[in-house]
Amino acid sequence: MPFTQKRLITVVAGAAAVAVALTGCGAGTRTTNENSTEVACDYTQPESATTVNVLAYNSSAIDPFTDTMVESCSTGNVTLVHDPIDFGGQVTKTTATLSGDSGTYDILENYGFAIPGQASEDKLVPLNDLFDKYSEKYALDELSESMLSALTYDGQLYALPMQGQMFILAYREDVFDELGLEVPTTFGEMMSAAQAIRDAGTMEYPIALPWLATSDVSTSFQAMMNSLGSDFVDTDGNVTLDTDEARTALGIMTELKQYMDPQVLTFDQPAVQQQMFNGTAAMSIMFSGRMSDLTLEANSEYFDDIAFAAPPKATAEAEYAYNRVSIDGWSIPFNTELDHDMLFEMMASSVGEEASAASVPAAYPARAGMVTDENSPYGTAANESIVSVMPAIVSPILADVSVATTDTLANILLGNISIEDGLAQMQTQGEGVR
Amino acid sequence: MKTREFWYLMAPSLLVMGGLLAFPLFRTVQWSLEEVAYGTGGSFIGFDNYAAALTDARFGRAVVFTISTTLIVTAILLVLGYLIAVGLNRLGKTRPLVLGILLVSYVLPSLVAAVAFSWLFNDNFGGVVNRLIEFFGGEQVLWFTDPFWNQVLIIANEVWTLQPFAMLIILAGLQGVPEEIKEAARIDGANGFQTHLHIIIPTIRGVMGFVTLIAIMDVLRVFDSLVALSPQASVIGNESIQLYVYSVAFANGAQNLGLGSAINVLTILIILVMLIPFIRGIFKEAKAAR
Repeated sequence: MPFTQKRLITVVAGAAAVAVALTGCGAGTRTTNENSTEVACDYTQPESATTVNVLAYNSSAIDPFTDTMVESCSTGNVTLVHDPIDFGGQVTKTTATLSGDSGTYDILENYGFAIPGQASEDKLVPLNDLFDKYSEKYALDELSESMLSALTYDGQLYALPMQGQMFILAYREDVFDELGLEVPTTFGEMMSAAQAIRDAGTMEYPIALPWLATSDVSTSFQAMMNSLGSDFVDTDGNVTLDTDEARTALGIMTELKQYMDPQVLTFDQPAVQQQMFNGTAAMSIMFSGRMSDLTLEANSEYFDDIAFAAPPKATAEAEYAYNRVSIDGWSIPFNTELDHDMLFEMMASSVGEEASAASVPAAYPARAGMVTDENSPYGTAANESIVSVMPAIVSPILADVSVATTDTLANILLGNISIEDGLAQMQTQGEGVR
Repeated sequence: MKTREFWYLMAPSLLVMGGLLAFPLFRTVQWSLEEVAYGTGGSFIGFDNYAAALTDARFGRAVVFTISTTLIVTAILLVLGYLIAVGLNRLGKTRPLVLGILLVSYVLPSLVAAVAFSWLFNDNFGGVVNRLIEFFGGEQVLWFTDPFWNQVLIIANEVWTLQPFAMLIILAGLQGVPEEIKEAARIDGANGFQTHLHIIIPTIRGVMGFVTLIAIMDVLRVFDSLVALSPQASVIGNESIQLYVYSVAFANGAQNLGLGSAINVLTILIILVMLIPFIRGIFKEAKAAR
């Protein structure tokens, strides 16, 4: 055999071996996380080779639970598969997989905002019986009551809570100390602090909030309304976007714009994080899942100067803080063909005590009392934040109202529509949902 | 070749074409007349989806934006592509190296290329272009929120990513121009500009037409790059037709597959209208070649 032919065969064989090895590596998650761990995942093995497809978006707060489940529960005949995906992609894939009689995924990462809509259409497996059956084995009674209720619709639990995210104020302690500023407790104080920072020539745009015109801005508006004790709909499901609370909330948001980057409506949470990393902003409010990144030396030279507090109120008279709590949990889609007991045990093992402890400080686990000042740089702020939030209004149309009105909201903040006209439009758009 | 052999050989191609082109096209037209959600059979609603699209001002803005961007990008690609190709054609041993460097933007996935390109204009990620503007005493440009400058940014990105293709095809065309006719033009007293305008460009007319055809089809389908380049496209009116389809039919859990299909049918019609001159030209040439 000529030399070149031998060499060609060697190369092809080598490439094939590498491909096979890589294919093997492809089983399981493609992300790794230092906040994940190995736990016992003790379910009854199926008789034949089984693949469990897991849909969960990637973030520093979700990855610990996904990685723990995928790594720990891939045993014997069973392989868990999870591919990286962003939040927007996950929303689209969730809609698609829940639409037909047969789906692509067997375990879904889900959240409180979406569950009422999916549950009311019978798209998820009710978990009450499974919860009771495995409560003792996985110490599920230690899961937070409020997080369990946030994932409950019409008396049935539809997702096993893993962790929650609440708004937290991150601020530059060095800048505040230098200028003798107090941590703001209202948006009025926040704007005064921003003015002082600007006057001192430290920063031009000291406030950074995620106001991406296609999504985050709606969450921000909702948080502002929640601070004033209102929401997009009331408990009876009536749309309430032409109220005084909505008017006040939009007034504050419009006023805030002068202290924010002129292109703020293009900023999502990673872009706001970047402003804090760069030192171009002194205050930001984001979900707690984004806070851990701010404390990492690898990300920013200001990692040690960033402090945390509960978010401010809309006004001094407001009952609640500018806040949203997003509870993430694991759901079983109605159209999976796999054994529900097996899937539930996988989910339960990933939210066990050991896994939850390992997820801190990247996440705020659903097990009460796990986050403290000692084990998390924003632990105190998170604990103070979660008790300052307005109780959630559970409505199957809330998510759709939010989507239907987002463009108009962005147009109001851009100054293309007046607040009055905009609110009237949003009310009509909201009422047009289903 | 016997008729039976012809059909044996053609059958696989016809099957693939039917499966990947004709059937999806048929379903798109069918769905455009129905209300359809994922995984469900549609219900016939006549032309309601078309009415919804055509009465939506946002769709009108998307059409104007897409067509204006397509025309500008195509014009720039032809002029710039020709100039670069002429320059490259004159290079000697360094041509492969320069060509390789110029092709980098074409081989990048469009979303990755768009993200990298956007960072040149984004202060959060360095914003080299902004620094240069500042250095020369210019005002801050709102690249992502000002509709005009945002369209400039999108056009620049499209030109950057598609230019290598246009340049490569035109270069191939230039290499096919016979030396004799250029020599004849010189003898007749034509200067360089006249030679290009009256001799070379008419000679590679077919190549230029092909580049125009592909450029129009590529830019009319612009979609994923806008995610990075125009995060609030729908609000400022810089939404492409394809992004509009995605937003109203799929994004945020929407399931308006019927509406999305109707817009796709309208898009196909727009593409056909824009390509009519080139399709007619191709038919004429084919007829003349018989």
